Amino acid sequence: MSIVGKSTASAGFVRTRWLLTGVLGLYFIYTFMPLVYVITASTKTNPDLFTSFGLWFSEDFHLWQNLYDLFTIQKGIFSQWLWNTFYYALVSGLGSAVFATLAGYAFAKYDFIGKNFLFALVLGAVMIPQTALVIPLFLLLSKFGLLNTPWAVILPSLVFPPGVFLMRAYIDEAISNEIIDAGRVDGAGELHIFSSLAFRLLMPGFTTVFILAFVASWNNYFLPLVVLNSSEHFPVTVGLAQWYASAVSGSGGSLLFTVVMAGALVSILPVIVAFLIMQRFWQGGLQAGGVKA
Amino acid sequence: MAVIALKHVQKSFGAVNIIGDVNLEVADGEFVIFVGPSGSGKSTLLRLVAGLEDCTGGQVFIDGVDVTNMGPAERELSMVFQSYALYPTKTVRQNMSFGLEVARLPKAEITRRVNDAATVLKLEDYMDRKPKALSGGQRQRVAIGRAIVREPVAFLFDEPLSNLDAALRVEMRIEIAKLHQRLKATMIYVTHDQVEAMTLADKIVVLDKGEIQQVGSPMELYEHPANLFVAQFIGSPKMNVLPATPSGDGLAVTSTKGRIPLAAPPADVVQVGMRPEEIALVSEAEGNIVGTIDVVERLGSDTFAYVTVDNVGILTVRIVGNVADMAVGQRVGLKFSPDRLHLFGADGKTIRR
Repeated sequence: MSIVGKSTASAGFVRTRWLLTGVLGLYFIYTFMPLVYVITASTKTNPDLFTSFGLWFSEDFHLWQNLYDLFTIQKGIFSQWLWNTFYYALVSGLGSAVFATLAGYAFAKYDFIGKNFLFALVLGAVMIPQTALVIPLFLLLSKFGLLNTPWAVILPSLVFPPGVFLMRAYIDEAISNEIIDAGRVDGAGELHIFSSLAFRLLMPGFTTVFILAFVASWNNYFLPLVVLNSSEHFPVTVGLAQWYASAVSGSGGSLLFTVVMAGALVSILPVIVAFLIMQRFWQGGLQAGGVKA
Repeated sequence: MAVIALKHVQKSFGAVNIIGDVNLEVADGEFVIFVGPSGSGKSTLLRLVAGLEDCTGGQVFIDGVDVTNMGPAERELSMVFQSYALYPTKTVRQNMSFGLEVARLPKAEITRRVNDAATVLKLEDYMDRKPKALSGGQRQRVAIGRAIVREPVAFLFDEPLSNLDAALRVEMRIEIAKLHQRLKATMIYVTHDQVEAMTLADKIVVLDKGEIQQVGSPMELYEHPANLFVAQFIGSPKMNVLPATPSGDGLAVTSTKGRIPLAAPPADVVQVGMRPEEIALVSEAEGNIVGTIDVVERLGSDTFAYVTVDNVGILTVRIVGNVADMAVGQRVGLKFSPDRLHLFGADGKTIRR
């Protein structure tokens, strides 16, 4: 049986294609079902939530009321959480993209003593789950008196080792040494070369790292849970979890599961929007023409 | 304009020695070409002159000033790169003015210089385009323009034509020659193409394994190569080489039947070389050695015959004009002119007569 030259009409090809389509279909359902559930659940009343079919809408469309409750309950603290999440994610996304770009550029384009060792450290850091670092971070932040401040969430999030790894690989490809050399011959300093010649070529990589770090920070739950204790600093993740906990325990009777579901829906929308907006910066090929491949 | 001198320049990357011990002087206004095979260290040597690499040892002087520890810009050289290395996000005009803006020249002066260079290089119509909207030849012109506007003391070219197609390469080669005539600037040019070297250079520096093999004018290298490497590297098609030992009034070709008459051959000859155009195709009886014609290439102006000689290999013969009576498979004699032979000793060095 040959691999090359198999026609798209051959039985083997058709079989493989159906099989692959089936596997991908299952994966699609697996990833999409929770999203559908969040959407349908947030449109229901609390009793309907437990009595109607989970993956479809119920007769009573309750979304607007749920949203109204979401933003008014507890003096509208949800807006504060949403803002906190956005603020933490934006600052740590931008910050970690900047640091990852600078570090990746240094790793890709400079030779210095200990380069391999340092890069091995970065790689090692990629493999350590952030959860494992939370306790030492807690102690560190407490020493600096930063607990229960926005810095407690932002500072640790600025370190994004996968971003460094990505940027190094990207910069290796995207920026030829000759362009940097040309800048040097033209008399530009290293920082000037980086900012006015290299950086724009790095935008796709920078954007990728920004989105990854932004989403990581947006979804971060454990770190803020540990280092924050007053609810005006909470991000959405921690706030919603707290509401969920009180809904489960039934305290006060005012916190309903529907509000938590509406909160979940609202909290994922900005990430989707961010993805759609940033997508156009994600394109490669910016360098086309500068250097003959 | 500048005199560039290298004194005992060495370069190694870790344990790997790239440049051995190079001493060289480039005169003011001279067009010098570094030529050699890949890995010969020619580009590294150029980068050492440019200041893009640090010397492991030795010194670089420009107009008598020791610039060994100076950066590329301080040396006031400009360089044209193999990949053009244009700034992709900048227009042609911005590409050319970048270095001048870095040097904080007055705006009017920048505009004047850039416009002058654009006129010279026929780039006026493309000034607002990005590099990706230019053809290969235009990009190369922009790269040269970027070098010219800085009014450097010397120009460095790192294989500037190797990314162009054959026709464009000839065209750009002539443009670079004209540029040199007009600017009368010192130029150092790196190439692996010996035709470029022969046609452009005032002086060729042949490098191999990080050592200078020979320095001289193109004709000097062609007529009097210092060693076997230079003899075979310069000239296209390359020089034919046969193993030979002196015997009486001639040289005996060792691995096959054959004898080349030569009065008083030096005793230490082990190889003999002859240029393709210095061999005559004759009848079997008249030839110094005999062989079979394998391939005939007719270029119109020249005819190349590749002749297989038993136990020796293929010898190339170049005949001016189009020779009609030559057939593949034909047995022929090869006749060498004794006064045009190049003799080499066991160390590969040319034996002077």
